Amino acid sequence: MSARLSDRIAGAIFLALAIAYWVMAGDYAVSYGDPAGPSLFPRIIAVPFGLFAIFLIVKPDADPVWFRWPHVTGQIATVVVLVVYPLLLEPIGFPLATFIGTMLLARFLGGTWLQAAISGLVTGIGLFVLFDIIFGLPLPLTPTFS
Amino acid sequence: MDILAFLLAGFSEALTPLNIGLALFGCFIGTIIGALPGLGPVNGVAILIPLVFSLSLSPSSALILLSCVYYGCMYGGRISSIMLNIPGDEPAMMTCIDGYPMAKNGKAPEALAISGIASFVGALLSTIGLMLFAPLLVQFAIHFGPAEYFALFTLAFATIGGITGANPAKTLLAAALGLALGTVGIDPQSGVPRYTFGSFHLFDGFHPIVAIVGLFAISEVLIMLEAGAGNHAGAIAVNRAFARWSEIKPTIGAMLRGSGFGFLAGVLPGAGASLGSFLAYTMEKRYSDKGGFGSGDPKGVAAPEAGNNAAAGGALVPMLALGVPGSGTTAVLLALLISLNITPGPLLFQNQPDIVWGLIAALFVANVFLILMNLPLVGVFTRMLSIPMWALMPFVVMISFVGVYSISHSPVDLLVMVGFGIFGFVLRKLEISVVPVVLGLLLGSETENSLRRAMSISAGDPAILVSSGISIGLYIATAGFLIAALWMAVSQRRRKKKEPA
Repeated sequence: MSARLSDRIAGAIFLALAIAYWVMAGDYAVSYGDPAGPSLFPRIIAVPFGLFAIFLIVKPDADPVWFRWPHVTGQIATVVVLVVYPLLLEPIGFPLATFIGTMLLARFLGGTWLQAAISGLVTGIGLFVLFDIIFGLPLPLTPTFS
Repeated sequence: MDILAFLLAGFSEALTPLNIGLALFGCFIGTIIGALPGLGPVNGVAILIPLVFSLSLSPSSALILLSCVYYGCMYGGRISSIMLNIPGDEPAMMTCIDGYPMAKNGKAPEALAISGIASFVGALLSTIGLMLFAPLLVQFAIHFGPAEYFALFTLAFATIGGITGANPAKTLLAAALGLALGTVGIDPQSGVPRYTFGSFHLFDGFHPIVAIVGLFAISEVLIMLEAGAGNHAGAIAVNRAFARWSEIKPTIGAMLRGSGFGFLAGVLPGAGASLGSFLAYTMEKRYSDKGGFGSGDPKGVAAPEAGNNAAAGGALVPMLALGVPGSGTTAVLLALLISLNITPGPLLFQNQPDIVWGLIAALFVANVFLILMNLPLVGVFTRMLSIPMWALMPFVVMISFVGVYSISHSPVDLLVMVGFGIFGFVLRKLEISVVPVVLGLLLGSETENSLRRAMSISAGDPAILVSSGISIGLYIATAGFLIAALWMAVSQRRRKKKEPA
């Protein structure tokens, strides 16, 4: 039988979080008119939180398949795109960032470069027109070099 | 009768050209979103919320649009269940069991027609139920003080664990996690920053919409990357949905029974359309199975479809009357209302009845639009199912980004959203449902406020929490549910051990 580590590790992490949560609640002082104070509710939650975490450690379910090769590379690449996009959004402007982002995502999901590029163009320009111009939601347009 | 007068006022609110247009748009989009595998009513409603903000819709129009999307998804889910054996959304899972075999036997038009009519019946009966039941519940709710609300929230969180069926411990863990996440930020009552680690960005806590879009839409993309690029099994061609009366008539009983179970399931806080369809199917199977269920019995299609639509309506009852959502999607609707500064609950019925009754009237109207749209347009919808994933998902991601950006214009929120997305992916891998996390995040502050208000009233005496009949009754119900859930989980494990591997 497998070690069923996933649930156990997750349970351990959640248990650590629950304990930290409990301990940090101790710092929140009570003021008047408010007998419960900011620390009561977190402490009430920390108890079932910790107990269920222990349950996960003691009675874990079967491990899921975490990483299906070769799909993992696609997933990691997607996460990179998802993190870089917000960072680049304001510096390089919405249409350009969306074009690149959509194109890369489409490529990871199985489109050809051409399909991805077209998709990127349509999405980048289309969404900009739709939101900035039609809906009046200001979106950064052009690259700013600061 | 008061209710009729309110309803007529509601219809006049709902039938303005703008609202009719929004309703049609919502029904159409909802049906497509429901039909597309992977996108469900929660994603659809969640992604459209920021859109609603940018359009600066009035609260009643916004509610009408999103409720139509919600009902539309319940109708749409059945299309890919029947045609592709892929549920369009979770509640549509049960429809696959008998719907797909029917399609393979050449009876796709019948399956689509019967499920469409069943959806209509379910939604109609539950909207009537909502209309009658909600005001009653509101009158009853006047007796609810903070202590009673705290008991109610406790019941809601406990039932989430018991009812989702999968490991209840995990669901309850998720709820606790959501509640904990909800406490991050400056405590409104005392001004003390909690769990902010000195970061300004965390002072406001986690915006529920950012969390919702991240946990549902972004994690969905990551999960889809695993399934590989869109490989749909060969689609079955059909041009219209049509069935003879002789085929439809025997299923009427199933539709009515399914609606009843679905509505009840929807009303329970924490349970929703999935439970509605599941319960309806299993009850119908017990009642009328002559061996045909599982290989194409029309009743096996009628019951869950009526059930999930009825549950969708039923879930609106506790959300509107008490402010406690009956399902994941209504949790998202609740988030919408709160951001529009509308607090659902008994006061909503008193102070803003036009919004509530406009909504109820809109649901009736939506139901009619949906059945008229769904029957002839099935061919169009099925063709839309063949949009490849590489075109669809990036679009969904970008819309999510724009939507969240429109809330605060802060790239930090976008990063938080992505963080929630990754977190959601991890949770789903661990088979920990994400819905309780969202419910915890949303309802945490209300729950805490009820507790603290009750304690202020009693000057610190915890006995106030169990001092009224309602509170005691609710706590007993909570205990009952928890015990039933534990017992079901234990007997399921025992059954699994007995079955030969």
